[in-house]
Amino acid sequence: MTTPAPEVLLTMPARPEGVGVVRQALAGMADALDFDPTVLADMKMAVTEACTNVVVHAYDEDAGMLEVEMLADENGLTIVVRDHGAGIQPRPARSEPPALGLGLPLIAALSDAFELKGSAGHGTEVRMTFAYSRSADPATQNPVTGNVGADGRWDPDADSPA
Amino acid sequence: MDANPIVLDETAGDVVVVVVEGEHDIYTAPTLRERLDEALGRGGGIVVDLTAATFVDSSVLGALLDARRRAIEAGQGYVVCVGDAVEPGVQRILDITGLVPVLPVIQGREEAITAARSTNGTSE
Repeated sequence: MTTPAPEVLLTMPARPEGVGVVRQALAGMADALDFDPTVLADMKMAVTEACTNVVVHAYDEDAGMLEVEMLADENGLTIVVRDHGAGIQPRPARSEPPALGLGLPLIAALSDAFELKGSAGHGTEVRMTFAYSRSADPATQNPVTGNVGADGRWDPDADSPA
Repeated sequence: MDANPIVLDETAGDVVVVVVEGEHDIYTAPTLRERLDEALGRGGGIVVDLTAATFVDSSVLGALLDARRRAIEAGQGYVVCVGDAVEPGVQRILDITGLVPVLPVIQGREEAITAARSTNGTSE
């Protein structure tokens, strides 16, 4: 790769139908950067989970926006998924039926670096970086632990399904 | 035309196959839940065929796990199947969540139909 691809900023209403659009844009960006298909698959999964968190958790009504930023540098591609909603909350603002609660563990397992920022009333930002060349599988470093609990949500401490 | 269809195949008689094709996430998860409700409502075994699925996220896993729980409670056989070559967008999430033995996921639709039939009517 000689020239870094330009920065991309997507802004759209935080609705379920937008998540696939973000995946399409990401696939185009990763293709231009010649990413390995297995890393692209991890990227699509992690970004889907981050966008889904915004759609499900960020806003009480359909009024908020989902922002996705893609920044390429010499090491890899960083994707920032941002909302301007209520901040990190343990329970979804709207979700029917309840979300599984597996989004953040998946993001941690699939990305080479991951940072979560947020505070009540100031929105949330998930920043994920994917390396052009991986020295190890991030899912080995940050494995998803647990199993499905009796309430249908993911229980990180469960050894077997309820 | 729907690029990401979810349809019921009832040609196996006592086992309904929910055929999931293409990309599925929070947008299509409600449709998947409806199809799984229909399949559970038939009262027999259920197979969810992900052979032609190219991407599934945790919203889809949530729907599959809910249906699994309801099938177990009702004594209905429930098996998820994949094909010979599984897309990374499907295989990876099944692998890292450890859900292959839980759902369970096996290879081949015919094998899955046989497995769902054999556990049908065996409520816990």
